Amino acid sequence: MAFIEAKGLSKVYVRYNAPRTGGISRLWKRERQEIPALTDANFTIDRGELVGLIGPNGAGKSTTVKLLTGILTPTGGTCTVDGRTPWENRREHVRRLGAVFGQRTQLWWDVPIRDSFLLLRDIYGLEEKRWQRRLDGLVDALELEGFLNAPLRQLSLGQRMRAELCGSLLHEPQLLFLDEPTIGLDAVSKLKLRAFLREENERGGTTILLTTHDMEDMLALCSRVMVLGHGRLLYDGALDALLQRYDTVHTLRVTYDGGADVSALTAAAQVTRDGDAFILTYEPATLPTSTLLPMVLYAGRVREMTLKEQNVDELIARMYREMKL
Amino acid sequence: MRQLMTKWRPYLTVFRLRALQETQYRAAALGGLVTQVFFGLVYIFLYTALYAGSDPQALRDTITYVWIQQMFFRMMFSNDGELTNLIMSGGVAYMLVRPIDQHRFWVCREVGGRLVGAGMRMLPMLLVQLLLPVELRISLPDSPVALLQFVLSVGLGVLCLCELTSIIDAINMKTLDRRGISAILNLTMLTFSGNVIPLTLFPDGLQTLVRYQPFAQALDASIRMYQHAAALPEWALNVGVQIAWILILRAIGRAMWARQLNNMIVQGG
Repeated sequence: MAFIEAKGLSKVYVRYNAPRTGGISRLWKRERQEIPALTDANFTIDRGELVGLIGPNGAGKSTTVKLLTGILTPTGGTCTVDGRTPWENRREHVRRLGAVFGQRTQLWWDVPIRDSFLLLRDIYGLEEKRWQRRLDGLVDALELEGFLNAPLRQLSLGQRMRAELCGSLLHEPQLLFLDEPTIGLDAVSKLKLRAFLREENERGGTTILLTTHDMEDMLALCSRVMVLGHGRLLYDGALDALLQRYDTVHTLRVTYDGGADVSALTAAAQVTRDGDAFILTYEPATLPTSTLLPMVLYAGRVREMTLKEQNVDELIARMYREMKL
Repeated sequence: MRQLMTKWRPYLTVFRLRALQETQYRAAALGGLVTQVFFGLVYIFLYTALYAGSDPQALRDTITYVWIQQMFFRMMFSNDGELTNLIMSGGVAYMLVRPIDQHRFWVCREVGGRLVGAGMRMLPMLLVQLLLPVELRISLPDSPVALLQFVLSVGLGVLCLCELTSIIDAINMKTLDRRGISAILNLTMLTFSGNVIPLTLFPDGLQTLVRYQPFAQALDASIRMYQHAAALPEWALNVGVQIAWILILRAIGRAMWARQLNNMIVQGG
């Protein structure tokens, strides 16, 4: 049986708004609005997988994570994690999982983070020696040594995120949820965090479910992605396959020494000029790069040539457009 | 036994950490000390004028009552900013990923903060007593037994207060704004806990009612024991009333928390 299994998982939020019309009647009237956040999601995740969850704002990513952690009850469907229903045996369920919500804190604001970790030791009933060993390992990997005695409120965003991550992994959870873990981090911190997560997944065997807007995170970490839009699961599969499907346009920028005869190229691809350089836009599906290249070389003496794939962000934006998100 | 220890360990730890944290707020304690000594003296001068020419023992008792009220002011009136912030920001929902009993966790935290906060103001205030003329000082307890009864009763009083606070927190979760309920409750507390006027000075006809209402269990009940060592049956009755209120407030608080946390789970924080 799969580690995580969701069948027809749905969540509808109910919101009450002030009516748009009417004057004084607004005092006692209110409008009920139903907002479907997740509709009929079906998926399974196996132990040890590292799955990315992407989608535009309001697509239902966080709702999915909250349902799986058990802090939300769905309005329809079923879901089991390691054989348990998250929202029914919540306390038993959360004992085995870790979660980091990028924009929320779960450590204590006013006390040194070491004290927060101490409290977590007792919350999860960890044995002293094991806790100490795990803490040392995490402090080392996440470079927390310098500010273990500082209260959380004094830490920078990057330090805070590392502290939160340490706090969520102390009890060696089987399953880790990360809701936008790299939000607001600088390039160096992002790289370190990614390396750490990969290590935790590969060596520790922790199953990780990650939501992000950062496509670099996706490329670096996830082999499998789930794309959500308007509360529906639109794609579930390999990241490579997804990229290939939408990565339909390449550009080749080429500069020649002296004159060049580009008539053959103009016939095959769309050619524009940028100063000395020619910019060739083509679709590898109909015109493989390997066919185009000899034509480029034949046209003149090449001084310089660069091949550009589509930027991942642009690609995802295009995918969202095509899926009408 | 061992199982019980493991079960209670997180709650004892949060109690301890909150108590340690409170010791960091020394400037606040100093400020509290100055304010409470000032208010204590103002009340005492007032009562001295009021009692002029009448029963000196009644004045002595009232002065002692006022001092004890001032010494434990921090225990009576304080609020945990951390929980309020978490409730206002919605962060409290995310605490649900921790496998703990949320109500018990926050009550234990509250007990730690209030006890140590009160202790840090009470001990220096006892020293301040030595600087005062004898007639303005707090009197000694009725007897060593009375002191013992007092200490035990203060312990029950702080539990009572923390259970009451948890009810306010639950209301806060519903309304998402602490100000309204705090305004109502602070006034009620100040009046019916005996902080403004000692409860002993309420009309005789109301004494039974005043004595056994929940706010009196916070500190008034303890002060009465300090001033008058109770014989066993009376003591048992007083402690019984304190415990009964703790249990009642606790049952209400837990039910409200369960309901609010459940709503939060359903609504999505």
